[in-house]
Amino acid sequence: MMGFSVQRWAAWAPGLVNPASWETWLAKPHALPAEGTPALAAMPAMMRRRVDRLGRIALQASYDAHVDAPEAPVLFASRYGDLGRSVELLTQLARSEPLSPTSFSLSVHNAIGALYSIARGDTSAYGAIAAGEETVEAAFTEACGLLSDGVPRVMVVVYDEPVPSPWEHFSPGVAFPHAWACLLSASTGADAIHLDCAAGPPDAPFSEQEQEQEQDPADLPADLRVLRFLVSGASRWEHVMGNRRWRWARDA
Amino acid sequence: MLELEQEIKRLVIETLNLEDLTPDDIDPAAPLFVEGLGLDSIDALELGLALQKSYGVVLASDSKENRRHFASVRALADFVSTHRTRS
Repeated sequence: MMGFSVQRWAAWAPGLVNPASWETWLAKPHALPAEGTPALAAMPAMMRRRVDRLGRIALQASYDAHVDAPEAPVLFASRYGDLGRSVELLTQLARSEPLSPTSFSLSVHNAIGALYSIARGDTSAYGAIAAGEETVEAAFTEACGLLSDGVPRVMVVVYDEPVPSPWEHFSPGVAFPHAWACLLSASTGADAIHLDCAAGPPDAPFSEQEQEQEQDPADLPADLRVLRFLVSGASRWEHVMGNRRWRWARDA
Repeated sequence: MLELEQEIKRLVIETLNLEDLTPDDIDPAAPLFVEGLGLDSIDALELGLALQKSYGVVLASDSKENRRHFASVRALADFVSTHRTRS
């Protein structure tokens, strides 16, 4: 697949609001507060009033990574999206209560991205992706496709929060709400990052340091392991899912 | 009637998450939609639902009538005071 580089990135989680604090945390993760919401001051108040916590976190990371960069296609990737709204709507439906029209209109997977597009008057191509445990890889595959097509840059935004009750047991993997965004450009340079997908068992064992990373606390979400690879300068990261091995690598 | 207007202003602010506004910021005679407060069609639906829950008023599907009732806080107060089935 097309090589790329990360031009700029940003991330947000309760207690981690700038790249420096993220880099420290990614090197040595510790438990984070489960609650917190960014101010999202960049979005006009009349639009912001409709955005729930997860949307605010996703869009804060988007604004922080985008800043003054030219318009670019944006891929919003979330395994579960704004599931809390769906639970609320389904609960109301089960009780034969009327549904909130606002909540209904924002319960679709592309709603958060759409608000970003409307708020910024940006008519670039937008995508909303959900692909189970391979959501991040699916988003970057799409991004690489766009870069191969000649688009100068693509932004990828990854966001998730703990799965709400009564479904929390389906996915204990996301312990705290978080989002990260990367502005990508095509690269053939020495530091280009490549993503590919192979079949079969993992390659030779990881180096000692990577082994250590493997033993992260179980609550470090898989998507943040990718972020750690992207921003740390590590030479590779492999995400094994069933028969598929997603290999993230930096050119040596 | 003034009291009902104040009550409806609070309902509008709370229902539509107008976090930066207080009841005094809303001119009861000013348009609620597009100009004035700048609300949109989803807000109209949300507000209709809140009025139904709070006052038991039922909104007809006649959009011309609704447009009149939703013109301003004052128009809404008039409508609610004559059609309410709940205190």
